[in-house]
Amino acid sequence: MAAEPTRGSVPQPRTPGSRPILLLQSHKLFFRRTRLGQRLSCACVLGWPFLCSSGQRNALGHRLIDYQEKPPLVISSAPVLRGCHLAIPSHRTAVQAWVESLRHYDDRHVGLADLHPDVFAVMPRVDILHTVAVWQRNYKRISYAKVKTRAEVRGGGKKPWAQKGSGRARHGSIRSPLWRGGGIIHGPRGPTSYYYMLPMKVRVLGLKVALTAKLMQDNLHVVDGLDMPTFDPQYLADLAQYRRWGQSVLIVDVNKMPENITKAAASLKTITLVPALGLNVYSLLKYETLVLTLDTLAFLEEKLLWHDSRYTALYPFHLPYSDFP
Amino acid sequence: MAAASRGGGGGPKALELLRALPRVSLVNLRPNPGAKKSERRRGRGRHGGKKSGRGHKGQRQRGNRPRLGFEGGQTPFYLIIPKYGYNEGHSHRRQYHPLSLQKLQYLIDLGRVDPTQPIDLTQLTNARGVTIQPLKRDYGVQLVEKGADNFSAKVNIEVQMASELAIAAIEKNGGVITTGFYDPRSLEILCKPIPFFLRGQPIPKRMLPPEDLVRYYTDAKNRGYLANPSNIPEARLELAKKYGYVLPDISKDELFQMLSTRKDPRQIFFGLAPGWVVNMSEKKILKPTDERLLRYYSS
Repeated sequence: MAAEPTRGSVPQPRTPGSRPILLLQSHKLFFRRTRLGQRLSCACVLGWPFLCSSGQRNALGHRLIDYQEKPPLVISSAPVLRGCHLAIPSHRTAVQAWVESLRHYDDRHVGLADLHPDVFAVMPRVDILHTVAVWQRNYKRISYAKVKTRAEVRGGGKKPWAQKGSGRARHGSIRSPLWRGGGIIHGPRGPTSYYYMLPMKVRVLGLKVALTAKLMQDNLHVVDGLDMPTFDPQYLADLAQYRRWGQSVLIVDVNKMPENITKAAASLKTITLVPALGLNVYSLLKYETLVLTLDTLAFLEEKLLWHDSRYTALYPFHLPYSDFP
Repeated sequence: MAAASRGGGGGPKALELLRALPRVSLVNLRPNPGAKKSERRRGRGRHGGKKSGRGHKGQRQRGNRPRLGFEGGQTPFYLIIPKYGYNEGHSHRRQYHPLSLQKLQYLIDLGRVDPTQPIDLTQLTNARGVTIQPLKRDYGVQLVEKGADNFSAKVNIEVQMASELAIAAIEKNGGVITTGFYDPRSLEILCKPIPFFLRGQPIPKRMLPPEDLVRYYTDAKNRGYLANPSNIPEARLELAKKYGYVLPDISKDELFQMLSTRKDPRQIFFGLAPGWVVNMSEKKILKPTDERLLRYYSS
């Protein structure tokens, strides 16, 4: 568990409930695993019991820097408070996230949103993320590789020379697998499909775990809407950098997106807009930061929680049911 | 990086651990240790290799063993034992999915089945209490005695077969039980009504039972739907005397009208007659007006 050995690394913003993270600033690109280094790295991972004041150096000569942001600024007079619409089990409490805004570059504390714990604070099953990501990569795969067997290679019907008398090895065909230019025995045969379906509930759980991981690692940002003051892509890029969102940002919305943000994001490579129906585990893991609108939160919570307490399907779900939505 | 905590860890601790770990991304994913066990491939060294599990010399190694069941020339077991029709005609035999009174009570207690409405096979299927497969020669549901001691629900239930004790248990609590026959096509429609309505076909009339079942369904002791209604009160009294309970008077019950609703022998759904077409998208019901159709569907 090495700490991030970066040069001039970006500190993580302090959101409610986060702990200050200790970073090891090293001039070398690769962290050498000395015994002291390993012990220090464990200390870094465990975090704040091992805080030291800035200016101190460890035995390797690395300067230990303690990054802590100032407490949050003034919240606007009418904060946006979003409560969870669906019932939360009595033994759990909602997790919270700041509601931000894109209208101003520093509008980071417009309000507070309650998030359902059964979607945003599930058990962090990283193996399920692996299963779902591998499925997403493979289920669409069709391998078109095909090689010819000895029957399909052109020629090779006639016995090349008589069985006995020539002094050479006995052969029946010039296209047997022993020959140069002959057929391949156990090669790839024809278009192969790697299609398989994971159970619906596994895929749903994958989404929940991915959203949990994003929230818990401070990579999830909730936005009240996607209204931007300008369509300038530089504004969006500067905003993302100022707020320390990360190298790549995925912005999700349920409704039709306003023109300003679509124009701005069209020319940006690292910021992508996606409709809520297109949210998937692979994209969530690929992009560093996730930005959700309040409507998307409601949509996702409703859709993902429905699977927790539904009957099994009698007939396909796209046909109407009278009992449940 | 898998957050598999050993006893007492739980969600909150795992989430706290996750906060301190590097960002979960596509490069950090791996399955849980022990989840992916690579298969043993023959001919690839050490334990899959050398003789590759084929043994030493002979027919075994050379792949020339005789067919399965061959006993070296002695008349084999599968020929020496005489044939007997244990499974003869198995695919023509009627099967009835058992439904215990315990399960029925469980469904009512959990609110999955509503006892204030007549209970039908459709209600039981919607509550996922039974799963009927008409294509596998299922002809419906049979009521079974398990849980008769603790059964305490007053219901109007319609099944396909019922044992005597089950009938007694239902009637003891002031309920009504009827046995009715559904041919496979009607059964499929009864179990999955929505896919049928989406087909746009008129509701067919339920066929009458085959010869060997007519006797069963015309008997008041089985509460058959084709039995003479006037024989049923007698049969109820007889059963009460046999099992020693007081038969409650359902005519004085507040739910008497619900308890006495019964289906017509040609009817599949309550409230819908054969010949009607249900339009799901426009939420309309179309009824036939032609005289010949009306005569056919009401026969």
